[in-house]
Amino acid sequence: MKKNKVIHTLLSAIMLTSLFLAGCSGSDNNSSEGNGESSGGGDEVTIRFSWWGDTKRNEIYNSIIDRFEEANPTIKVDREFGGWNDYWDRLSTQIAGGNAPDVVSMHQFYVSDYARRNALLNMQEFADAGTIDLSNFAEATVESGTVDGNLFMVAKGVTMPGIVYNAGFLEEIGVEPPDMNWTWDEFNEKMLEVNQAMPEENFGVPDLSGGQLQPNFRYFVRQRGNDVFTEDGMLGFEREDLVAWWTMWEDLRQKGAVPDGATTTEYDSAPLEQNMFTTGLTAFTQVPANQLHLYQEQFDNGDLEIVRMPGLEDGETGEYIEGAYLSITERSEHPEEAAKFIDFFVNTEEALELFKVEQGSPGSSEMAEFVLPLLEPAQQRAVDFIQETVEYARPAPYAPLGINELEQSFADNASGIAFGQLTVEEAADNFMAAAESILQ
Amino acid sequence: MIALKNAWRRNAVAYMFLTPWIVGLIGLSAIPMVASLYFSFTNYDMFTDPQWVGLANYAQMFQDQKWLNSVEVTFKYVFISVPLQLTFALCVALALSKGLKGLRFYRAIYYVPSLFGGSVAVALLWRQLFGGDGLVNRGLAVFGIEGTNWISQPDTALYTLIILAVWQFGAPMIIFLAGLKQIPIELYEAAKIDGAGKFKQFFKITLPLLTPIVLFNLVMQVISAFQAFTPAFIISGGSGGPLDSTLFYTLYLYQKAFTQFQMGYASAMAWLLLAAIAILTALIFLSSKKWVHYQE
Repeated sequence: MKKNKVIHTLLSAIMLTSLFLAGCSGSDNNSSEGNGESSGGGDEVTIRFSWWGDTKRNEIYNSIIDRFEEANPTIKVDREFGGWNDYWDRLSTQIAGGNAPDVVSMHQFYVSDYARRNALLNMQEFADAGTIDLSNFAEATVESGTVDGNLFMVAKGVTMPGIVYNAGFLEEIGVEPPDMNWTWDEFNEKMLEVNQAMPEENFGVPDLSGGQLQPNFRYFVRQRGNDVFTEDGMLGFEREDLVAWWTMWEDLRQKGAVPDGATTTEYDSAPLEQNMFTTGLTAFTQVPANQLHLYQEQFDNGDLEIVRMPGLEDGETGEYIEGAYLSITERSEHPEEAAKFIDFFVNTEEALELFKVEQGSPGSSEMAEFVLPLLEPAQQRAVDFIQETVEYARPAPYAPLGINELEQSFADNASGIAFGQLTVEEAADNFMAAAESILQ
Repeated sequence: MIALKNAWRRNAVAYMFLTPWIVGLIGLSAIPMVASLYFSFTNYDMFTDPQWVGLANYAQMFQDQKWLNSVEVTFKYVFISVPLQLTFALCVALALSKGLKGLRFYRAIYYVPSLFGGSVAVALLWRQLFGGDGLVNRGLAVFGIEGTNWISQPDTALYTLIILAVWQFGAPMIIFLAGLKQIPIELYEAAKIDGAGKFKQFFKITLPLLTPIVLFNLVMQVISAFQAFTPAFIISGGSGGPLDSTLFYTLYLYQKAFTQFQMGYASAMAWLLLAAIAILTALIFLSSKKWVHYQE
């Protein structure tokens, strides 16, 4: 009996100890990831960097990081990546949980959300000290990375959206390509024309009436002298703007130039290689210029050309600077190393030689010059397009808190119209009511 | 006093062995649950400190059109998929209980879909099956029927998910099979002598004696149907679309928590879901007095 008891106690003691140790070592691992103080290598520091993108981008970024580690043997960079949607879901949970990466990829539309919730570090001091050299960045580009006057992000690449078409295909079906500076009226005519020239089951352009609030709808309201938001975080446009926008699309849909709701849903989450434009279902689509070469790879029967987003006659320009940015998180334990990494990413030939125009034209004008001879023709066209249109860019207010919910309502109501369940008027009423309760 | 001490001493070892489980229960279930109960009374965006708002989250739900819609979708899903799935499971179990050759093989084969359960791969497969040029439509084309894209039509999208749930009938089937084996063969023999046909045998003997099993399966499946998440998330690409026709309660909860940063609201939703499941389960148990027969 006694002996049994001893064995029992011993066994459980062993189990508990191992459990305890496992628990401790687990948390040890975590903290070393966080602090980057790996036990062995003295001064070696580990930082973490995360980005969104596809497989190809992952390869490029991994190579850039490898070169950074080579150049800075004391800094190790852990990598995290995912698709666009997953990336933002994960980042929000990581930041809430206090274990966000040191360097994170950032976007205009979301930066204010994070910055105003104190999740990002003001990088001004690194810029002043020259750790991050912004001397070759255009003022507007630097400006586009600030929120409330604080520098929260540095541009990896600046890009502009445009309407893309396959010049070879248009010639084949005998449709004149659109003008670089076209209006929404001309856009409508062109969509109907091309829709006539194509087989019945095809369309002019995918349904751009819903989804995210930018860029499509945002360009439209900006051209009408408004914006989606005001500087103080209220709704920046009127019900008429929304009605005009959705009426235009509903009209195109009724005439068969834009797909119905079910077809749009079917292609909703299709990757680039299988979306409506790439599969030839539509003749036009809206694309951020930096992705032009990715689309070009899918077409061997002609060059893809990109023109400006349609405008309004006598209207204002819709353009604003967009792109992908790098930020340092507020809780980073190694902001100095993180800043060094960002500087390497945006300012060195080693990095830009690989980056080229992956997420847009490089922020530094010197680097933009440097990558020019390395580009494929489609990338070249994209850079030309970006440089031409960036001239029209006007500042754009940041998104207020609650933007996700607002955007959801925009998408819901737009697809209500597309499925024929809501009239334009009803959808506009719904959205305005939702906006009022969300943006208080 | 001494008795108590002795009892403690006797159980100490047991408690020690239980420690890992207890630690897990407290750390991974109990504490998060208490925390979520607290958050459900707050306005919490995960970045800044929660602010106490009392019952505001709960009140807000009943004015939230999307929430009401998600409740409707979920109830529809539960009330259609569970009876269908159980009927189907019972039918297959009856067929398999006839003692045909290769029973083990069939049992295994029919159970396989349940193993895949809520897996991502199956949901992706479903997308392919019911897509515009998916297998289902090709099958229909053989009979000259032109199918639509089942998944991107608001009227049919939910039914593809219901079919997916029914298809995963393996677990209740196995339990029904075991239950059928428990029914004494003499009862059937006696019934046969008395002149009862197959149908009468089923409704007078099989079904009544199987009711405890039906109750068990019903409760388990209702609970798990309320918690269904993965298929809707994958098939609609996380949106619950088209037109929120597949916006399950759990999916909306996820959206609120992780894309709109409304953790307080989402916590309140979670607690209401718990309450709804508890009430429904209680109702099933209460009603069971009327229709479940336990063998004496």
